[in-house]
Amino acid sequence: MTTRIDSDICIIGSGITAILAAERLTELTDAEIVMVEAGGHTTPARDRIAKRRRFIDYGENPWTNDHIRDQTGDGLFYRSMHVGGCAMHWDGACPRFSPEDFRQRSVHNVGTDWEIDYDELEPYYSDFEQRVGVAGEPGPPEYDPRSGPYPMPPLPLSYNLEILKRWGESAGIPFWTQPWAKATTTENGRAVCRRCDTCHVCPTGAKYTPDLTLHSLIDEGKVRLVTGTLVRRLNLKSNSDKVSYALGSSYEDPDEQIEFHAKIFVVAAGYAWSPHLLLLSANSRFPAGLANRTGMVGTYMTGHPYVSAQVDLPFESYPGMFSTNSLLSRMFARPGPLEHYLRHDLRIWTSTAGRQPRPRSDSGSRLFGDEIMEDWRARTKRSSARVRAYYDVIPDKNSLLSLDPHRTNRWGDPMPKIEFRDAPESLSIRARTHDTLFRLFERMAAAGDGSVMSTQVSTKMEHPGGGCRMGEDPSTSVVDSYGRTHDHENLFVIGAPTMVSGGCANGTPTFCALSLRSAEMIGLEI
Amino acid sequence: MKQNRRSFLKQSAAAVSAASIGVGGADDQSPSAGHDRELDEKMLRAIGNAVLPESIGETGRELAVEAFELWLSEFEPVAELTHPYGGSEIPYGPADPVPGWSAQIEALDLLSRAKWNTGFVNLTNQKRRELLGEQMDESSDTSFPSPGRAHHVGTALMAHYFTSADAVDRCYQMRIAKLECRSIGNVENRPEPLRGSM
Repeated sequence: MTTRIDSDICIIGSGITAILAAERLTELTDAEIVMVEAGGHTTPARDRIAKRRRFIDYGENPWTNDHIRDQTGDGLFYRSMHVGGCAMHWDGACPRFSPEDFRQRSVHNVGTDWEIDYDELEPYYSDFEQRVGVAGEPGPPEYDPRSGPYPMPPLPLSYNLEILKRWGESAGIPFWTQPWAKATTTENGRAVCRRCDTCHVCPTGAKYTPDLTLHSLIDEGKVRLVTGTLVRRLNLKSNSDKVSYALGSSYEDPDEQIEFHAKIFVVAAGYAWSPHLLLLSANSRFPAGLANRTGMVGTYMTGHPYVSAQVDLPFESYPGMFSTNSLLSRMFARPGPLEHYLRHDLRIWTSTAGRQPRPRSDSGSRLFGDEIMEDWRARTKRSSARVRAYYDVIPDKNSLLSLDPHRTNRWGDPMPKIEFRDAPESLSIRARTHDTLFRLFERMAAAGDGSVMSTQVSTKMEHPGGGCRMGEDPSTSVVDSYGRTHDHENLFVIGAPTMVSGGCANGTPTFCALSLRSAEMIGLEI
Repeated sequence: MKQNRRSFLKQSAAAVSAASIGVGGADDQSPSAGHDRELDEKMLRAIGNAVLPESIGETGRELAVEAFELWLSEFEPVAELTHPYGGSEIPYGPADPVPGWSAQIEALDLLSRAKWNTGFVNLTNQKRRELLGEQMDESSDTSFPSPGRAHHVGTALMAHYFTSADAVDRCYQMRIAKLECRSIGNVENRPEPLRGSM
């Protein structure tokens, strides 16, 4: 059986990118908007108190069944596939990229300049911060350029973080509060943060969650949401490169097909499923997939790895007062143009490393009762701090998402496979990057008369993006800076897949700002 | 009587959880809520007396054991655990630990009777620790596991208590109140000392 649903704009996905774009579109136009989500509804707000409790007590997933068993691939996959997307797990960190992220080639002679620069995106960063209600304090202007203040004052530093800020700054590094999508005033209708320290499941509604925005849009009759429906391909009009309809299959009735017809199609399905859908949509005119005339779909997958350390410091602090808040410095994200290419952020958290209760002493003897308490207490006369640096890597063209014929979903569609690869200019400096960061951590520790207890190198790509990168030249990009595909006039890809590089900061504000900018263009078109 | 106390504890926990964040009542949709998952009450208290700090007092140990019983009664075997923001795998929790722990408790009592001709509950804490140590010694654990993954019920009881907010406060002798939802208004202040600790 085939059902047909008509609209002006069909948005594929219902994560934060899709929802913010939909919200902006409803402000610009009366167009009929349909959103299609493969997963189901997420945990309702009223259940989040109890879900938080079970997370604390048992480690259970507060977003139960937020994934689809056979809709995953080989490589790095963020499994959340439900209304609100990965942002339901998000802690709410909202750092912007630096101007240098958009001009790597011009400033540092590496990578690729984005088609837009920081100044062009800045108003959309501000728009994003207003919509999601970001609380933050601007850093020094030379490190944190902004056109205005954050919508809300920053979350206050805990007693512990005040001490750690003094320590960090004693090493000559300016630190300020990480901006968060958590309310510190009631101006935007949310409760004020109550430092529950489980931000990935905020029980009070102080942290922004996109599902609530979407529910408002639905309640106001501005958006129609179809859940439990996987869009499996985009079909073109006959004798035209325009998309005619998106073909979906229902999880409830796998034999039911749904055709979503629209004037404009917006693929907002994240870094993995957006390029995957384009590849799956191959046809006789586009045998390598839609928007893929030049073979660029799935290339330049990006993100950033990190290096971190646990530092022992000679003062008392009290972990558990507000452990999710952290300090940020972007000093190293803005090196001078003549310096060796290494750009990274720097964050500090309170930590309990080495200061947790344990069942055995250093000598290996078993401890019981007050012996455990005394052993534990003796180790809390000093403090631990966690420091971490996300560093920028230049993605290689062959940093690739491709179709994996050996892994299919219930309908037989090949699932994606992601293999991240750094460009040679990043690979050649990786050892030096790690060494430089280790020395920075040592310098910080020494400034506080402390020592580095342990270090960690993670090569996992955090905050992934790319796969449909933006650019002017169709031979090196998939979409323009608004997300419009070079090959299909009425097909947009928005958000993380369009990013040219992963920067050295969490990606959400940047890809959401990009999607708000895309929404303006789509609103003008309709 | 015991069921009434459990019901009371469950209701109290829900009320405290809701009240601490200043919103309406908690909606406990635990699939296992109401299931009976219990260990021998007297033996568990005897183990608690041996492995929990004497410094928290008899009442403190009783509260710690009751909190553990409540935790166990609402445990859901092989639950879907949280996957991190960027986690590719969906992790699942352990199987029901009660059968294994019950067998250990039974063995402890049998061992006590074989060695000292009296039940485990009648032993001194020192002798209880000797028996517990014999059962637990195979593991060379350097940190506490999550309680549900503890191979031994004594380890589970300690893991449950020593990761609690009460234990953290007693360790630091400050009212840190980890994971308690409260105002951000005074977060810059040093926590208050626990009454009678300074």
